[in-house]
Formats: sequence, structure tokens, C-alpha cells
Amino acid sequence: MRVNHFTIALAGNANVGKSVIFNQLTGLHQHIGNWPGKTVEKAEGTLHFKGYTIEIVDLPGIYSLSTYSIEELVSREYIATQKPDVVINVLDASLLERNLFFTLQLLELETPLIVVLNQIDLAKKKGIVIDYEKAEKILGVPVVSTVAVSGKGIYEMIERAIEVIEKKRKIEPLKPQYGKEIEERIEKLVKLINKFNLNYPARWAAIKLLDEDREVEKEFLKLNPKIIAVTKELRTELENIHGHSCPTVVTSERYQVASRISKEIQKITDPLKTPMREKLHTITTNKVFGYPIMFATILAVFVGIFSFGDFSSTLLGDFFFSLRPTFDSIFGIGLIGELLWGGIIEGIIGGITVALPYILPFYFMLYLFEDSGYLSRIAFLMDNLMHKMGLHGKAFIPVMLSFGCNVPGCLGCRIMETTRERLLTAFVVTLVPCAATSVVILGLVGAFVGIEWALALYIINLIIIFTLGRIAFKALPGEPTELIMEMSDYRAPHLKTVTKQTWFRLKEFIIMAFPLIIAGSFVIKIAEIANLLEPISSIFSPITVAWLGLPAVTGIALIFGVLRKELTLIMLATLLGTTNFALVLTPAQMVVFTLVVMLYIPCIATVGALVKEFGWKKALTITTFEIVFALIVGGIIIRLLTIFPI
Amino acid sequence: MKLPLTSLNNGETGTITSTDVNSNRDPMCRHQRRKDRKQEFTTERCIKRLTDLGLTPGTEITVIQAAPFNGPLEITVRGSRLAIGRGMANKIFVDVKR
Repeated sequence: MRVNHFTIALAGNANVGKSVIFNQLTGLHQHIGNWPGKTVEKAEGTLHFKGYTIEIVDLPGIYSLSTYSIEELVSREYIATQKPDVVINVLDASLLERNLFFTLQLLELETPLIVVLNQIDLAKKKGIVIDYEKAEKILGVPVVSTVAVSGKGIYEMIERAIEVIEKKRKIEPLKPQYGKEIEERIEKLVKLINKFNLNYPARWAAIKLLDEDREVEKEFLKLNPKIIAVTKELRTELENIHGHSCPTVVTSERYQVASRISKEIQKITDPLKTPMREKLHTITTNKVFGYPIMFATILAVFVGIFSFGDFSSTLLGDFFFSLRPTFDSIFGIGLIGELLWGGIIEGIIGGITVALPYILPFYFMLYLFEDSGYLSRIAFLMDNLMHKMGLHGKAFIPVMLSFGCNVPGCLGCRIMETTRERLLTAFVVTLVPCAATSVVILGLVGAFVGIEWALALYIINLIIIFTLGRIAFKALPGEPTELIMEMSDYRAPHLKTVTKQTWFRLKEFIIMAFPLIIAGSFVIKIAEIANLLEPISSIFSPITVAWLGLPAVTGIALIFGVLRKELTLIMLATLLGTTNFALVLTPAQMVVFTLVVMLYIPCIATVGALVKEFGWKKALTITTFEIVFALIVGGIIIRLLTIFPI
Repeated sequence: MKLPLTSLNNGETGTITSTDVNSNRDPMCRHQRRKDRKQEFTTERCIKRLTDLGLTPGTEITVIQAAPFNGPLEITVRGSRLAIGRGMANKIFVDVKR
């Protein structure tokens, strides 16, 4: 450790305002990435404070240090092996009991600790008064109160953290005690474990062994299998005494400690009237009003984003394309100029005109909903519907995102708990018609065949999603995880945090999607210049012409659609030499073409997102399946439409 | 009276008696358990999650409401508000005074 150079980790439950504190501390000096080898977000930042340089690591919001989720594993591994100089444990002051349960586990890990009671303003409103001195005395570590959103108490928090690091004051952290039966057995195990050189305290390992922790178990199985045999005996003894499984007994007793402490340090008086946020909760989850409110909200967001997106996207596009003459005057109209403009610049323009007008507001609204607490209410209401395809309520969020763009949808699958569910959700997500697909649906079928046919296509799509989702759910091994989710109180979203999250997500999108879109346009441009597009489309003609009954040029349009789906429409207009598609395509052809565009391939950026989250093999499987599936469905529909013409 | 959480009326409070797979009296569940080790593991994990969130035996739990169309339950436990899928809620047994 360099002098005056520290690492501080922020740990705590979800929804306690941890990321707000993180933002208050680090400002713009942040780096958001992934934990090595994991699809768990890692937020790091630097704070310069009174001549100290402090690295801040924001650990994921979790309720326990067990092995329920990847987030929990990542957090405890970090604390145990990386050994931050101090852990700042952020608590929701109005939910002391459950938050202290987590604090007790940090104390068991014997990591240097300070406890921060956040949102004390809200706690006060709820009628909760906390005795901080008493809390400090009982827990044996510094206790600070904060209101993170206004920055109150943050300064003191860092000062106290540095005090702990520099050991300016003697602290004696509490060692949580269990009941006699458990303590005896912990002692026995500690004696066995003590001789090994471990990354973490022997007492913690002993507790975790009784807690049936699979990771710790695995480790000891390698070190000395005898310990596991002893552990199993001890567990059976405890189970016989208490009549519950051993992990339940351990958790239960830890909660008893948390409950006792919280009773000692807080006084609760009921608030006089039902607060606004409670009324809001009741009405937004109400069985009569809940759904209409939800649909109206989502619809408003979509209409807002699409009309804003359409307007600003055209504006941006027009602006960039007006630069063409300037560009030509610099690079000339030769081959290189053509390649640079058509291959690279147009790729960038394409990316920008999607990212800024659509993705940006989408992410912003998403985080606004999440931060305010509405997202969990939506998941609550949609749980049953999502169960129809083997998912649970939380999956509705990535699906909803996908109507804007499949890429954030795929990345959003991380909120699901298990790999199986992430994959299943991602599969469903890639079938959802995104904004670009909607452009094709509305611009071709909606405009030239009739709006009722456009609507029919959406309905067909939904049916397909549900059917395929259900089949995939049955086909993939494993049991569905049920919804277990906190619905924290509604609160005013913290704009700075929301903006920052939006920015980092946008950056992630740009870094991932742009190179793919640009490389893709470059390859296609070369094929175009080398006059390869015609031969390629004639190779595809058995499929496009014979099977799907479409003109041969649609093959080229579909190739371009791999980049971005709305390009299929633009290319079609270019290739057919008209924007009045009614002159060159029959209504049935338009319907089938659009249907294929809807289903045939997740665009190149989405494939990139799939690769990033699930690896090449799964990404290719999904892509191949969807191409084949789209062609089969398209072929069947055109034949049906020949029998029953439009 | 010992009942699964799903049988409680809106606003009713009970004391949790068990959340364990082992003490679960539902024969269907035991049958499934024998069928698939992995399934047992999933249920076990969910129960761990529930106890970590404070649903330990002896704790008071209140059902606020159920989402429409057989949706999840909204409950409060130890002052926090949770949504729990119906399948899971069926495995939580509570003692109610009626």
C-alpha cells in the first residue's frame, strides 16, 4: 500500500442509495466495467480528499453474503481476497433490521468497517428515531448518518473511514454471537480449521460450513475431506435440536441478533397520515387501476421516444448527409472516397442516428423508472404473463426495452438471476420487433397494405414470441426461478445518478455496436463496389424467389438488414428505384417481406451483444435458428396468402 | 391453523412455521425432488434467499395483496415490502389465528 493511497469498498442492500453515495464521492472520475469473467457490473472511481487518493469500489447491492447470486459471490470474494482498507456499509435507516443482518455478516468477515445510516430524512418521516451513539457502542464500529441525495454527512463519512484506516482510534467491532448450540459447534469447527492458511477468518468459514455454503464446502473438500464429514454430523445434530434445516437455523439466529440490535437503537412512532408514496404504491399496484396506469405510462414513453426519435433522427441524418459535398471535395469522388464514405462514414451516421435519438432517451427513461421504484411494480404486475413463457416478472423489463432496441434488451437480461433465465430472456428479446423493425412494418405494410395488417403482424409476432418462449422454456433443462423481489418505497429519482447511468450504458452501446456496424457496412460496400451483390442475390434466389415468392433484389435488401433492419426498406427503395412500393410489390409480398425482416436475424449489433453475454456458440445458435425459422414462416404465409388473397 | 401463505386473505398476518423443503408437507414437491437433484437445488437456493430476506421461522408476515390473474403476492416482513412468486409462496407455511 502506498502512503495516502487507499481502497474503500461500498457495500449494502439494493435500493439503499449506495450508487448515489458513489456518485457523490467520485463525480466524473468513474470507470464502469465488468468484474473479470463475470457479467456483473463493477463500478470504480477515484476520490481526492485532503491529500489522500482513494479508490472507491461500488459493490453490487445484495442482501446477504451467501451464494444465491453471482453478485453475492463477487462481493464476498472481493472483500475476502482483495481486502479493501475499509468497507463502508450503507444501510437504509428506515429498514434497520434487514440491513443489519447484512452488517452482521460483514462483521463476521472481520473486515475494517464503518456503518452509514442513509436516508435518515425518510426514516424520520416514517417516525423512526435512531440513537447513533448507542448504535456505535453496540456495533463497535463508527456509525455515521447521511442523506446521500443532498450530500449531507458524506464528508464526515469519509473522515471517519480514514480514521479507521489509519487506526487513529481503537475500535472493537462486535462479534455476533449465536445460540449456545451453534456456538459450541462453531468452536469445534474453528479448532479443525485454524491450522489452514485461509483468505478469511476461521470463524467465518466455520459459520459458512454450517450454513451449507457450497463454495466454502468445495474449498475444504480439497483441503481436508474429514472436515466436511464432521460438518455434516454437526449439521444433523443442529437440525435435530431445532427442527429446521441448518442454514435456516443459522440465518434465523443471525436475524434474531439483528432484530435485537435494531430494537435497542431505534424508536418507532407511527406517522399520523398515510404518506403520498404509500398511496402511490397502492394505486399503481391496484387490481383495477394498476394495469391501465402501467399501459398508459409505457405507451406515453414509447410514443414520446418514437416521435422525438423520428424527428431528431431525420434532423441528424440530414445534417450528416449535407456534409457529403464537403467530404467529396476533400477525398475526391474516386474509389477511396466512395469506400470511406459509403463504408465507414455512413456506418457511423447510421449508428449515431440510432444511438442518440432512440437509445439515449430509452435508457434515461429506464433508469428514471428504476430509480423511482416503478420498475419493480411493473415486474409485480407482469409476473403472471411472463410465467406463461417460463420467465418471471423481472423479464418484462428487458422485453420492454427491446421494443426500442434489442441491444439494451440483451444487456438488460443481466437482471435475471440464473444463466438459464438470462439466456431464455435473451432469446425472447431478440424476437421482439425493435424501433427499426417498426419502421419497416409501418413504412411498408402500414403505409401500402393497411394499418390493420401492420397490427396483425405485431400480433403474429407476439404469438410467435409466446410459443417459441414456451418451447425454449420446456427444452432448456432446469427449474424456473420464482420471483423474489423487493418493492422498495417510491422516491424522487436522483437525476445525477440517473444521468450517469444513462451515459455509461450509452457508452457501452457505442463501444460494442459501432465497430460492428462500421465493419459491416465496410464489407457490404466492398461487395457493392466489386459488383458482388447481384451474384449473391442470385445465389439466394431459390430462397427469395422460389420459396418466399419475392423479387430477387430483396436478397440484397435482406443482406443490408443485417446491419440495421430499417436499411432493408431503404435498400429496397434504392434497388427498385421507387418509394411507391405498391407499384413493384404485391400486398402479399410486402407482408411476407416484412415478416421475414421481423424474425430473420437479430441485427449485427444484437448478435454482438449476445456474443458478449453468452459466447459465440449460443449467439450463433440463436441467430441460425431465427434465420431458418423466419424463412419457414415466410414461405408458409405466402402460400396461405395465395390461397386467401389480401 | 397451519396454512400455505397463498391461503391467507389480504391484510392477514401469520407467523412463519417453515420454509424448509424438508418440512414441506406437499407430497407433489417431494415427488419432484426425487426426480431431479437440480430442482431441489433451485428450491433450496430460493429458500436461502427468502430466509436471507428475513422470512425465518417465527417471523410475522403480512399478506398485503395478490397481483391479479393469479400473480405474485405482495407481503411485508420485518418492515420491508416484497413480491414473491405464487409457486414459492406455496412453499411457505404460516400459523394463523382465525
